[in-house]
Parts: sequence; structure tokens; C-alpha cells
Amino acid sequence: MTQKYRLDKGGFIKRDKKISFKFNGKKYFGYEGDTLASALLANGVHLVGRSFKYHRPRGFIAAGVDEPNAKVQLYHGAKTEPNAVATEVELVEGLIAKSQNCFPSVSFDFGEINNFLSKFFPAGFYYKTFMWPKNFWYKIYEPIIRKAAGLGVAPLKPDPDRYEHKFEYCDVLVVGSGPSGLASALAAAKNGARVIIAEDKSRFGGSLLTDEVTVGNKKGKDWADETIEQLKIMPNVVVKNRSQVFGYYDHNMMVMFERTKDHLEFPNKYTPRQRLWYIRAKEVVASTGSMERPLVFGNNDRPGIMLSSAAKEYLRVYGVLVGKKPIIFTNNDSAYETAIDFKKNGINPIVIDIRENSESSVIKEAKNLKIDIRFSHAIANTRGHLRVNSATIGKLNEQKTNYQSLEDISCDCICVSGNWTPTVHLASQSGNKLKFDENINAFIPNQSRQNETTVGSAKGSFTLKKSLEEGFNKGFELSNKITKKNIKSAIPTSNERSNGKQNKFWCMPLPKNKNYKRCVDFQNDVYVSDIELAIREGFRSIEHVKRYTTLGMATDQGKTSNLNGLQLVSSIEKKIVPEVGHTTFRPPYTPVTIGAIVGREVGKYYRPTRKSPIHAWHEKNNAVFVDAGLWLRPRYYNQGNETLHEASKREAFNVRNNVGICDVTSLGKIDIKGSDSAEFLNRVYTNAWMKLPVGKARYGVMLREDGIVFDDGTTTRISENHFHMTTTTAQAVNVLAHLEYYLQVVWPELNVNVLSTTEQWAGAAVAGPNSRSLLEKLFPDTDVSNEGLPFMGFKEADLFGVPARIFRISFSGELAYEINVESGYGIFMWEKIMEIGKEMGIEPYGTEALSTLRIEMGHVAGSEIDGRTISSDLSLDGMLSKKKDFIGKRSLNRKAFIETGREKIVGVVPLDKKTMIPEGSHIVVDNKASLPNPKLGHISASCWSVEYNNPFSLAILKDGKQRIGEKLYALSPLKSKSIPVEIVSSHYVDPTGERVRS
Amino acid sequence: MLEIKCPYCGKRSQNEFSYGGDANIKRPELGKEISDSEWDNFVYFRKNPRGKHSELWHHVAGCRQWFKVSRDTSTHEIFKTSKLNEEL
Amino acid sequence: MQKYSIFSLIKNAFTNHQNWEVAWKDPVPKKEYDIVIVGGGGHGLATAYYLAKEHKITNVAILEKGWIGGGNVGRNTTILRSNYMWDANGLFYEYGMKLWENLSQELNYNVMYSPRGIINLAHSDAQLNTYSRRGNSMRLNGIDAKMLGREELKKIIPFADFTSSARFPIFGGLMQPRGGTARHDAVAWGYARQADSMGVDIIQHCEVTGFDIVNGKLQGVQTSRGNIKTKKIGLCVAGSTSLLAEKLNMKLPIESHVLQACVSEPVKPFLDHVVTFGAGHFYCSQSDKGEMVMGGDLDGYNSYAQRGNLPTLQHVLSEGVAMFPNLSRLKMLRTWGGIMDMSMDGSPIIDKTHIEGVYLNCGWCYGGFKATPVSGWTFAYTIAQDRAHELNSKFKLNRFNTGHLIDEKGVGTKTWIG
Repeated sequence: MTQKYRLDKGGFIKRDKKISFKFNGKKYFGYEGDTLASALLANGVHLVGRSFKYHRPRGFIAAGVDEPNAKVQLYHGAKTEPNAVATEVELVEGLIAKSQNCFPSVSFDFGEINNFLSKFFPAGFYYKTFMWPKNFWYKIYEPIIRKAAGLGVAPLKPDPDRYEHKFEYCDVLVVGSGPSGLASALAAAKNGARVIIAEDKSRFGGSLLTDEVTVGNKKGKDWADETIEQLKIMPNVVVKNRSQVFGYYDHNMMVMFERTKDHLEFPNKYTPRQRLWYIRAKEVVASTGSMERPLVFGNNDRPGIMLSSAAKEYLRVYGVLVGKKPIIFTNNDSAYETAIDFKKNGINPIVIDIRENSESSVIKEAKNLKIDIRFSHAIANTRGHLRVNSATIGKLNEQKTNYQSLEDISCDCICVSGNWTPTVHLASQSGNKLKFDENINAFIPNQSRQNETTVGSAKGSFTLKKSLEEGFNKGFELSNKITKKNIKSAIPTSNERSNGKQNKFWCMPLPKNKNYKRCVDFQNDVYVSDIELAIREGFRSIEHVKRYTTLGMATDQGKTSNLNGLQLVSSIEKKIVPEVGHTTFRPPYTPVTIGAIVGREVGKYYRPTRKSPIHAWHEKNNAVFVDAGLWLRPRYYNQGNETLHEASKREAFNVRNNVGICDVTSLGKIDIKGSDSAEFLNRVYTNAWMKLPVGKARYGVMLREDGIVFDDGTTTRISENHFHMTTTTAQAVNVLAHLEYYLQVVWPELNVNVLSTTEQWAGAAVAGPNSRSLLEKLFPDTDVSNEGLPFMGFKEADLFGVPARIFRISFSGELAYEINVESGYGIFMWEKIMEIGKEMGIEPYGTEALSTLRIEMGHVAGSEIDGRTISSDLSLDGMLSKKKDFIGKRSLNRKAFIETGREKIVGVVPLDKKTMIPEGSHIVVDNKASLPNPKLGHISASCWSVEYNNPFSLAILKDGKQRIGEKLYALSPLKSKSIPVEIVSSHYVDPTGERVRS
Repeated sequence: MLEIKCPYCGKRSQNEFSYGGDANIKRPELGKEISDSEWDNFVYFRKNPRGKHSELWHHVAGCRQWFKVSRDTSTHEIFKTSKLNEEL
Repeated sequence: MQKYSIFSLIKNAFTNHQNWEVAWKDPVPKKEYDIVIVGGGGHGLATAYYLAKEHKITNVAILEKGWIGGGNVGRNTTILRSNYMWDANGLFYEYGMKLWENLSQELNYNVMYSPRGIINLAHSDAQLNTYSRRGNSMRLNGIDAKMLGREELKKIIPFADFTSSARFPIFGGLMQPRGGTARHDAVAWGYARQADSMGVDIIQHCEVTGFDIVNGKLQGVQTSRGNIKTKKIGLCVAGSTSLLAEKLNMKLPIESHVLQACVSEPVKPFLDHVVTFGAGHFYCSQSDKGEMVMGGDLDGYNSYAQRGNLPTLQHVLSEGVAMFPNLSRLKMLRTWGGIMDMSMDGSPIIDKTHIEGVYLNCGWCYGGFKATPVSGWTFAYTIAQDRAHELNSKFKLNRFNTGHLIDEKGVGTKTWIG
């Protein structure tokens, strides 16, 4: 198929590499170096999509990121990408794209009925209706609206691609590679600065690619190419294309995304799809250029109507004519360049210029070329359903409120220019409060708040000469602050066409009795009448206008529409634009792939997985794991067809009757050293620590300053000034930070050091009546008798040549020990214990059995220490020293904490001794009371008591201790359960603690 | 992302640090008799200014030292950082 | 006031919508009002509306330093729910849900109340148990809640990560079917329009600069548009409460933090519910426009800047992709930040103060939007009757002295952890 609108020569595409692609099911050809947009235009395709609300036909407006219309769906399946911008999609062999938001096809779309009914759907119409009958909004209206809304279709499968992050530092980050950017980068680099220059497009050069200029007696493009080559070989410069700096964050943190893969026909399998760069730049040069604004006139939103600069870019960069019967419609000189380019390629454009006249070199050139120019004229309306085919033009009256006469002229495209808007996003994001420049009728950066410098047309300097000057000067100045090398580069001479004055008039009047739609926001269907309506209804703040009409809230974020909207509000409100103000510019500058932001933290790597050194053994022995924070812990070890319940019962039973072994490596461990260690613990824990003998452990509870229990654990005095603290798995990190805070901030006078040793020790709890005989064999040279190693005793011992620590502590309530060895010996220890324990009936037990054992003993854990309970709620009031002060003590006398009737820990047994009470059930007096049914407390933990062979639960219950013996109900409406229960002591098994001391 | 100068390690990005709140809060001395309201002020009540704020940060993924930062809560500008025993 | 309906819409279409009246007027402040509400956000507008409607007090002014609805009511993720564990919160928010259910009709403004259901995903049995405690508490308080198993969830949200490569697999979820969303701007505008029609003066671009207090009694306020006499003032300025409190020499148990949210580009509907991720802090719904509306953790340091930093969003979105791996290929379109009044126990304060005539409505943390109707309703009651209604009787300021805290999460005073 021929590319009918492709010129025979010209452009920077590679004509020797033909590329085939599909659009809306039809096969087309383009060339390497094309964008999807340029390739479609080369084939004469303008119609790409439909607008959001009225489904009006839409074509290309721009050639870059400002494109509001050409959003397409790429590929299908897991790799599909909705809302890709055709002007940014590089053509690659086999590309598949289709139009969005239309059915059954883009050229015949049922949704267009909205356009015929648009009278009834003005801005904000949905706030005024769909209220009756009441339930219809959710059930009827909203589902219809939802189905109609949205643009592309999201993939429903996981993203098969990979994204990476990179962190960089540099002296000067230059954003944009137009003349001012190249100049800045070159000047800074030559002055010895570390420079990164980033260009969003695939080609460097910005306006130098399309403007008829010379720099240093070379063609603009050649100078750009040479400069980039020069920069690329400098060791202190990083040159990136396809890289958009989209966010200016605090402390000059710039974030950029780089498109690394989608443009490649044969990507390396290790190539990430995109790469996100966090760049900390000492100085930022924003040379982000400017964007052309559309003019507003009747039916200015038909396919074929586009920005004149875009038409020029398609012609110059891609060798594509956007039409063969063009009308150029402008209020300034810059559009004449497009007209001249058409003319030079054998096409006769008609220029409609609203100005009465203009005298400048570019106009002279146009006149010399005999281009048909109609001054004082405007386009009032256009025609053509799927592609513009004629324009109604007329001479404006003097006040520009109407037309003296109207005539229709045929055309196949209209190239508009309503002047230029500096791209000030980065400056604004950095905190720079913009100012309004009357001369160019747009906002430009004012006072920098961070190390941000905007140059070139991004700050309203619209001539090449000035852009180069600013670039070279700022590049030198900024780099010199850092390098102080004083190497100044000469500014090359330049040649460009001179432009005359523009006219600010941009919104064409409607001919008498005509009510043409004049579009401001092309994607979101916001028209002049919508903005007028918003103001009529009192939505006068620009933010109100934006929210009420959705102006500028489409995926292009109003790049082509914001300033026009603002001008309209200012003219209706008879305020000057700066008084109306502008809506806030926030990152990202253009939409950024979420996967790129997330990077590698996906799937299994969403968060780190912490495993004990014994993990492989657990896996080998059929452990079923459970997440405990970041740790994976064995929940139970599966045998045959056991259920979780059966397995944990077996394991717990074995602990109570023989001996079990549990991996407790994940418990937090903190080494505490220094002459004031005991004093420090005395302040941190609620009980007394000064007199703990060396070689002894003690259970401790710590509070937050607000009196709430923070964590518990045992701490052992290894030597006079050396303690080993254990914390719960969940709070390990927080306890360490807590201790460091008090040592460094509150009591720096204490001579204490703390260090996390969680990863340094592997821990095994050995519990059960046979545990001592097991230890005797493990440590034949150590006296582990009840006298030699009593309850809460500690010894260092030798485990077959490996140094070990033995703590006689017990969470299970049985005679138990905890053995620690250095992590590397963890598996050795474990296997040795299993080997020797075999004859004593040793079995490993997981967290589920561990829970069972602690619950029936009435030991509290995370489900009771839930950040809301105080010591006395948990029957830990005996742990509160009356003699000394400690963290949180002062809070304990507060009214709520000493009230009678607080919820306290108790045991709960179902009356039928059979029904497990679901955790999270609530206890009530009356199971049939009307709602709200007063709750007395809740079930915090449940188990099957292996001691009594019936269910047992812990509850935190109002007036708990007074209710022992009462018969109440445990209700779980979620599980439709109502269980009659009896309240018992929380110490269900061995209440006097004989076993641990045996 | 903030860039914070740890007084021990130098400039680092914010993700190495964790925040510790208002640095002007002084914990009452242990064992000292104080009124309920003094205590509640310490535990719960905050000045919460807009503008200059003295605050604590903890270099958790670094030297694990706590230190003081003077920062503007409306612009996030950091004026100064110092060790705990130095004037901010 | 013009009535909004399909008929008025059609009628006005034929006059090219030239005859619509202003939604609210732009009055000059009077010298004196019975009650002044500071803050033209959702809560302030709702308070004024209920003062007029429920208590027939219409000589009321709302003073807004910027434009109405410009604070957190216009910067949230629009989620409505009453899935709280503690009675003080559960019963309060549940009353709010009942107000939401009739709000469009009551205000004659479509606030698009959409009870699409909110699901909290759980990633372990332990978490399911924690959720059960809350869900059962809800049920016993007469609030709808149900548990969903993994298989049920697979049907509702098949695109969630149910694969073996999920770092934290989905075990189940707690759902409040009546939870959902509403159109945030419409809430502010709907209240404003009705309050205005009943005689309330909505005064924009009017900043309160000071208070006149004589012998512990309020006499009036100083503003950027002159002094206004009043005996009662209600502060509804979440995010900036500490700044106004300072002018009253009050220190509050509040810190201001920035919370970011973001939306993706609009796509065709695929997510019908509000879903929260349990192995992190992430919530997500799809707006009627098709955008995925997402939020999560605070930025983590005191801030009055309505903007945040990218690492927080990176963290939040990583949770999003962990939950819904297909989000990865969508693009983040827009981000914004709001300033949260983070109270020290995570629950709000609606109370009188020690100054006669000064009333406080603050400390909403993340939860202010869904509270808009009930907050306004109870605050109006508190101001009009000079005492708390039973619904807000637990949201006292002095609970930070007595210890009667309402801590849903159990994290204590480190507000920046959220």
C-alpha cells in the first residue's frame, strides 16, 4: 500500500526500513523513525478516536506529549496498553493499535448519539439529575455511565514486563535538548560539571529539528547533532533520549522515566520495559520548550484540524503532509513557517490571519512565495463529519464580535496557531510561583524556590538567539558555582526569521443565531458554553470551573486547553488572567507507567522474605509456613492427610507428653552492654532489674509512654554489664528504635550500647517433660539439673564443639529450654537435637502448636498485646514495680486506667466442651438482644486444649475476673455462631507454674 | 524525596531515615512529681507549627543515630541538622 | 431555589442553559452573625446546613479563606464506610451512612452515593481473626458486614494476585456491602447550595486572622474582610486546626501530615468495589470516569505542604501491584496531597472548648470525607445545644487527659505511622 501523504524525500525517517503495522484491523506501512501518528498521517488517516463524553470524531492535534486525542489501545492480552499516545508511540514492526471508546468502530460509533443529545448533557448535568428513584443511581444510572466512561481497556493479567530503577547524582541536570538545553549542557559540561541531559523524544534537538535556522553557520539540526555527539563522548556527561523528567520533588530530587524497550523490534530478554531514574541534581536547567495553543472557533475539533507546529513537524521530521488543501489559521507569525513549508512542497495553503496586517521577514517570505493570505479574517465554523472538508471564513468586524461576510472554502486540514505557552511544569512543581507575562499572554517562572533555572522558550524567550544566550550563560554560571573552573564557551552565532507581533485574540465569535460548539478541552468535551455555564452558576474560582466542567482533567492534563480555559474565564469575569490564577501543576508531567514507579518490588519480591537458617530443614520435613511479619515460620509439619488442626494438636500433645522443638530464630534479640545496663532496663521495663543475678533471665514487660503495653520478653544477664534481650517477632525493629531513642535522646548520660543480634543467633526452643534428659545428652559436660540450671537460669555450654547458650525459659508452660548458637551452626544444632531426641519422642512443632501451648497456659501474645491493653488488663499488674519509675508509669493513674469494669483477660470454655469458639467473637449476656447488643469483650485467641481435650479460649472481658463462673454467650454473627460459654481463669493449665520449675 | 544531612554520615536520601517527631518535647525526669496536665502535654499535645519545626530523625538504615533537624513544614526546606548535644 | 431534576434539565436545554441560577451567592459579610463557621470544606458546609435545617438557625456565616470545597473534601479518595471496631466510631459512622443514603434526595444534588461494597483483604488467618473481631463488632452494632473466602473473592476480583507468586497470599476478606463511594465535589457543592438557599452566607476568600475573647467568652472574629461579631464559632479546618488553635492559645493532640493519593488514566470498568490491601496500606476503587483512585500511607513527617514525595507513592503503588498485578501497565495520571489532622489516637474531636462559644471539629486523620454528613450533623447539634450529642459524646478533647482513647489501630501517639 502506498503512503499517499508521504513526500518523496525529506524528514529524518529511515526510508530503507519499511515497517508494517495494524490499526483498527487494517495493515499499513511506515518507516523506521516514524511514530504511530506520523505513519497513520502518511497513509491519510486522521480519524483516530472519539471524545470522552459526546463521542465526537477525533484526529491528531499535536505531534508530541500535548496530544489530547490520539489515545489508542496497543496490542492485546497481558501486554495490552490502554491510552497510549499515538504521537509518542514509535513505530515498530508488528505494532497493533486500535481506537478506544467507540463501538462498533471509530467511523461508526453508537456513542455519537450523545453528540446529538449534547444539549441535554452540559457541564455538570449529572449533578442535577439521576436522583430519582433513590436506588436507581447505584443500580441503573451509574452502571450505564460507568460502562460508557473510561477510555481503553485495562489488561486483567499480570504485567509480563520488567521495570528497573536507577539512582543518579549530577551537578547539572538539563531537561530538554532544544537549543537552550543543548547550550546549557554544553557550557556546563565544558566547564567540568557532571551533566545529565534528558530528551523526551527519540530525537535530540527540539525546535532545531523543525525550524529554518542556522547555528554557528550550520543548519540547526546539524549543530544539534554535532553538539550531542560532542556531549556523548565527554566522560562527565550522560545523554539520554526517550527519557522524560516528569517530577520535580523536594531538595532537587528529579524523577525521570526512560522508555527502553517498546521501540525495539528485537529487545534483549534482559532489557527492562522502562527505567525510572531518581536523580539528585545540584542544579536543574529546565529547557522544556513551549507548546502551541489552539485557536477556538466553531467546530474546531474535527479530525484534520491540528496545531500548525504539529503540521510542520510532521512535514519536516517525517516527510508527511497532513493534508493537500491546507488552511492555516493564526493570530501570530509562527504559523507562516508552516505555510511556507507547504508551499515549498508544492501545496498551496490559504492563510487566515485575524490580524489586520503584519510586517516581518517571515511574512515577506510568504508574500514572495505568493501565498494566499487573508488578514482580518477568521474561521467561524467548519464542516466534515469524520474529517474536516470545509471552513466557513469571514472578515471580522472591528470589535471582533462578528463577521462582515461569510464564505465557505474547502480544505482537508486546518493548521491553527493561537500562540505559544511556555512549558513551566517543572518550575511550578519546584515551588516557583509563576507570573503572568502580558507580552506573550502566558505564565512564566518567577522566583526559584529550589535550585531550578528555566531557560529558553520555557521562560518565554521565543527567539533562537536568546535561547542560546540563556543556555550558554546559565550553563556556565550554574556549573561554575560547583566546579569553579571558569571555562566559558563561546556562544555561536545564529540566524533565524524574525517574527512580528501577535494578536492576543483567540476565541472566535459565533455568527449571529449560530450555536456552534467551540471546543476548549478536546478529550473531555469541554466547550466554551460549558465554561460560560459554570460561571453563570457561580463556579467562579478557576478550580471550581475546572472541577465542574472537567476542563484540563483529561489524560493530557490540559496541555492544550488550560490556558485557553483560563483566558475564557478571565474574559467572562472581566478579570485579568493573573487574578484568575492557574490551577496547580503537579507531577507527573505526563502519565507514568505504574510498573515503572514500582520497579522490582513485585510478586515474591514485593517485600523481603526472612528465613531462619533452619528453613531448608523445615521445607524438607513438610513444614507448612506462615507469614510472621517478613519472616516465614513453620506453622505445622504435615504428616499424611492431617489437617492444620490435627497436626497442631499432635505437635502440642507431644510437647506436653514427650518433647518438642520449635524454631524461635525470628524472635528479636538485642545485645545490651555498658555499666548502666541494669539501670536502663530498670527504666525500660515495668519490673525491677537492678538485682538480677548474672546467669539469670527475667520476664519483662515494657510500656509506651501512654501506659499501653508495648512488648514483652525475657532478658538475661550474661555478665555484670552485659544483657541479652528478647522481643516478640513483630516488635523487634520497633523495640530497638525505642531503646536507641531513650539512650540517645532522653538519657544520654547512661553508659549503655544496644545492638540487634536477631540475625546472629539461631534459636531452638526445646520443650516438654523429656527436655531435660535431652539436654543432658546434648550437653554431657554441663550440669542441666534443676539445681544446676534452674528455671530462668542461663548457661553457656558446648554443643559438640559449637559454643551455645542455654536459657531455661518457657513460653509453652512446660519444662523448657531455649538453645542459641551462631546462625551458621543453626542447622547443625537442629539436626543434632533431632537426632539425639529421637529416642525421647522428639517432634518439631510449629507456631500453631506454640499458640495452643501458650493459650492454655494463659500466656499473653500479640493478640492480647494489641496496642490497646494495659498491664492490669492482661493480669500483668504484678509486674508493675511500685518502688521505681519507668517508661509509661505516669500514665497509669489516669481515670480510664483505674476505672473498675475495665476489660481483663480470662479463659473461656464452651459449655458443650466441643465447639471451637472462633477468634474475634464477642461475649454478650443475651444472644438474642436487639442491636446494638452490648459487648462485654472479645475472644482474642482460641485453641483445642491438649491438656483437657476440649476447646479453650482467651478473652478480654469487661469485669473479667469478677465474672469467673458466669455463663455467657460467645457470638460470631459473621460465622452465624452463638456459643454458650463459661468464664474460667485464663491460667487453664498448671496455674501455679509447677511444670516450668520441675 | 528529602535529602537529609546526617551529622555523622553526611547527606543521604530520606529513605534511609525514620521520623521521630517534635524535638522540643522534653520527657519529664524520672521520679519527678509533675501535674497531670504537664504529663499529658508531654504525651499528647503538640505545637504542630507551620514553618520552622525542630524535629528528630533516626538514621535507621545507616549509623542508627538520632539527631535534630530544623525543617520548614510548609516548604520542606531543611535549614540545619545537628547532633543531639548541639544547638540547632 | 431552582429544583434540579431531569425535567428542569430538559427545560433549560431549550433555552441553551441560559436560565440556571447561581448555586450559591457571593455575599458581603454582615457585621454580626449568630454563629460563624470557619472553614468552607465539607464539614463546615454540612454544619451550616444542619444548623439551618435541624436547628432553624440561619443567621450563619461560613468563612472560607480560599474557595469552598478546596481542602480535603476535594482531595480524598471518596470512600464511605462504617466498618469500625469501637462502638464510639462504629455507631457514629453508621449514622453517617444513613445520612449518605438519602443525601442526594435531601440536598436535591446528585452526590452519587454508590454502595458498591468495601472489601478489606486479609493475608493470614491471624489477620482474618483481627478482622472478625471488627466485623463481629459491626454486626452486633447493627452494621452490615460479611466474611468472604478466597474462592468467593476469586469471583469478585479475579485479577487480584491469587497465584503462588504472591508474597502475601489472599486468605479472605471482610466486606461491608453498604460501604462505597460518593462524588466528593458534589458533596461540598450540594451542601453549599442548600445552606445558601436557607439563608446561610457563604463567604469565600475571607481568612480568619484572630478571635475576640473577653473573660473567657467569645465576642467575635477578626478576618481579612473585617471584624465580625458572633457569640459562637465552630472551627472546621482539618489540616490547619493547630494554626487556628494557636490564635486561641490552645495546643491540641494533633499533628499535620500530608497524605497523597493518585489516579490512573481512565479505563473501562473492571473493579466494582473498593478494595484494601491487608499486607500494607493501600486502597483502591474505580471512579465512574474509569480512573483507578488509589491511596495509602502518609509521607511520614509533619507537613503543611499539599504535596508529597515520590518514594511514598512508590511504596503505596508497590502494594497496589502486589494486590492487583494488572495495575502495573496502567499509567499514573494525577497525584495530589492533602493535609491530615492526625490525632493522637486516630479518632476525631467534636467538642466544646474551655472558651465559651468556641467549638472544635478536628482530628479526622484519614477519615474525614465519609464523616462529612454525620460530622456536620453532630457538630451543628453541639453548637446549637451547647452540648455533645450522644453520637459524638466520646469524641471529647479531654479524653487525652482521662485516657478514654478510641484507638482503632493500636499504634499510639506516633501519628506519622498512621
